[in-house]
Amino acid sequence: MDDKKENRMVIEAEVPMGTVHPAALEPYRLRLFVEDEIVRDAEMTVGVNHRGVERIMEGLPVEKANSLTEKICGICSNIHIWNSCRVAETALEIDVPERAIYIRVIMGELERLHSHLLYLAHGSEVLGHETFSMRIFYIRETIMDLLEMIGGNRVQYGSAVLGGVRPRCELDEMRIKKLTAGMDLVEEKLTAFADRFVSDPMVMSRITGVGVTSQKDALRLACSGPTLRATGVKSDLRTEMFEYYPFDFEVITQDDGDVKSQLLMRVFENFEAIKIIRQAIRDLPDGPITNRSWEMQDTPITKSYIEAPRGTLYHSYALEDGRVRNCVIRTPSMANIGAMQYSAIGHHITDAQLCVVQCDPCFTCTDRAIEIIKL
Amino acid sequence: MDLIYSVIAVIGTLVVAFIVSLFLPGIERKFIHARIQQRVGPPITSPGVMAPLKFFFKQTITPESSMPRLYNALPIISLIVVVILLLFLIPEMYFLGALASVIALIGFLKVEEVMYMFMGSLSRSVMSVRMPFPDKAKGAAHPETPQSFFEDLSSLRAFRLIAFGSFPLYIALFVAVARTGSIYLQDIINYQQVHGPILFSVAGVLGAIVFFIGYMILLNEYPFSILKGKPDVIEGPYMEYAARYRAYVYITRGFLMFTLATLFSTLFLGIAPNILNPSFIITLIVALLFPMFMAVLSAFSPIFTYKQFYPTVAGVSIIGVLAIVAALL
Repeated sequence: MDDKKENRMVIEAEVPMGTVHPAALEPYRLRLFVEDEIVRDAEMTVGVNHRGVERIMEGLPVEKANSLTEKICGICSNIHIWNSCRVAETALEIDVPERAIYIRVIMGELERLHSHLLYLAHGSEVLGHETFSMRIFYIRETIMDLLEMIGGNRVQYGSAVLGGVRPRCELDEMRIKKLTAGMDLVEEKLTAFADRFVSDPMVMSRITGVGVTSQKDALRLACSGPTLRATGVKSDLRTEMFEYYPFDFEVITQDDGDVKSQLLMRVFENFEAIKIIRQAIRDLPDGPITNRSWEMQDTPITKSYIEAPRGTLYHSYALEDGRVRNCVIRTPSMANIGAMQYSAIGHHITDAQLCVVQCDPCFTCTDRAIEIIKL
Repeated sequence: MDLIYSVIAVIGTLVVAFIVSLFLPGIERKFIHARIQQRVGPPITSPGVMAPLKFFFKQTITPESSMPRLYNALPIISLIVVVILLLFLIPEMYFLGALASVIALIGFLKVEEVMYMFMGSLSRSVMSVRMPFPDKAKGAAHPETPQSFFEDLSSLRAFRLIAFGSFPLYIALFVAVARTGSIYLQDIINYQQVHGPILFSVAGVLGAIVFFIGYMILLNEYPFSILKGKPDVIEGPYMEYAARYRAYVYITRGFLMFTLATLFSTLFLGIAPNILNPSFIITLIVALLFPMFMAVLSAFSPIFTYKQFYPTVAGVSIIGVLAIVAALL
């Protein structure tokens, strides 16, 4: 992995960026060690936005704790509450109705769409291409409207509750029609955008061969999600999640591990998300959306892993008198920080933020994780 | 009578140039950028008129510079240089001889470029090194490495732009010199009044393309805005300008846009800026068209790094040399 770091590394100066920087949507410190504007080493520090959500969750009734997890992330709020409910549902052996599972999958994939589109827009902005950024935001608006239609909000639209989904997230005929039309529209616009994007020589020149993380290094750095798949590793937790068993979809991979692969990776994943949503709408089963017949009991620490838009999301907690104990949450960006630092090495300093952004960081989520270092 | 005519021509041209230049940034952003990006955009007066006006009445701050007064004075010096540049383009000033020549104009443009270098080297904003953060905490990587401000990078880039970035613009200026055989603006205009505009020749077309790229580089517009790119150095040399000094930065940029367009119409169309001459309308049209073309190109381009910048400048410079050869032939 140290092949990028030369044996006789010359570091002329350190250029610190952040914690406030217009290319970074969230607060973090990026120290770039440069030689004639070429990054020789990088160090990233997060923690400025620490909120201690796990500590706040300690002792809360499980229903309240679940709704609090939705506040962890402003982008993938739904996946957090879904995974948190999964922990309790697994521990308490609650059967979730099939219709509720389908609605959860629809919401999860809509969230993946909006998260990936946000990523593409932010990536375009860091490239300096505001027009592409604006156009992606326009496409994303359709998804945001659909999320608002189902979940009631544009940001905190989480649908999952213990045993199913919230009553207002029920999909009636009108909503299904809107969903179908929305998917057609997004697919059409995204296809046009992707064609335009890959045929732009200036954009391709900026992103091809930049920020490369090899497959070997991505595995060593324990990357997850699309960041790992963009290096050619076919790893997607959705293939192991029982909720996704009924759906037919491809696990998208790219070979090069550079910014181009990362961006295209998300574009192609969006088409797969649309495919899953269409299948879910077509095969949506009848029946209740919530199972209320379960009893609270004390449980040991139970774990749940789920494929969030950025990678593997981990939640675990124990239940004691209906209250949450020993909660631990690990977000995908924590696993991808290594790749963010590493991929910037050897590239021009202007590309450094692009190398960070290509791994789709979400430090608002990550900053509530606690790392205990044994001294 | 001649003296009064000359004074009116000079002052009138400068005043009209000043007024038009205030609207150029608004036209660029409202009618091109915003339309391409399918959004409403700011009011046309906002970027060029209302923003400087607002900044003039804001409370200023003392920048964290080793020489804050000099740092604050640089935009004013820059504005003066651009005004002088336009002044020597007005036909009534051609009696000054060598000062109304292509060589003198290049000298003034160089001064303008050097300003960015000084601004960068004198600025010490809070956005990088001065941001309160425990960088040197236990376990930090390379704790002994000297820290560098963003503006230092900008200053270094400004130096590089002086060295190679302005090639296209200066080569384009010499297309007119090669064609007319004179460095004096009076001779260049006289030649075109007899033989027609240089623009309507092969050399002229090539030269115009090269001039346009040089125009964008000098104005630090996307994709050539390495001096003040948002992905790394943010505002670069301008980072610490506040209140009226930032207003001067905005005004200077608008004025430079107008002046460079005027320079183009003088050298490639043979039309010198003079408000009392009806052909001044063509100068105004050129001044409007240049920001529009620039906005279209910048709206569809990502920011360049050196990897794209060097080949672009080299390629455009070669076209410029071909234009000079064509002009000589």
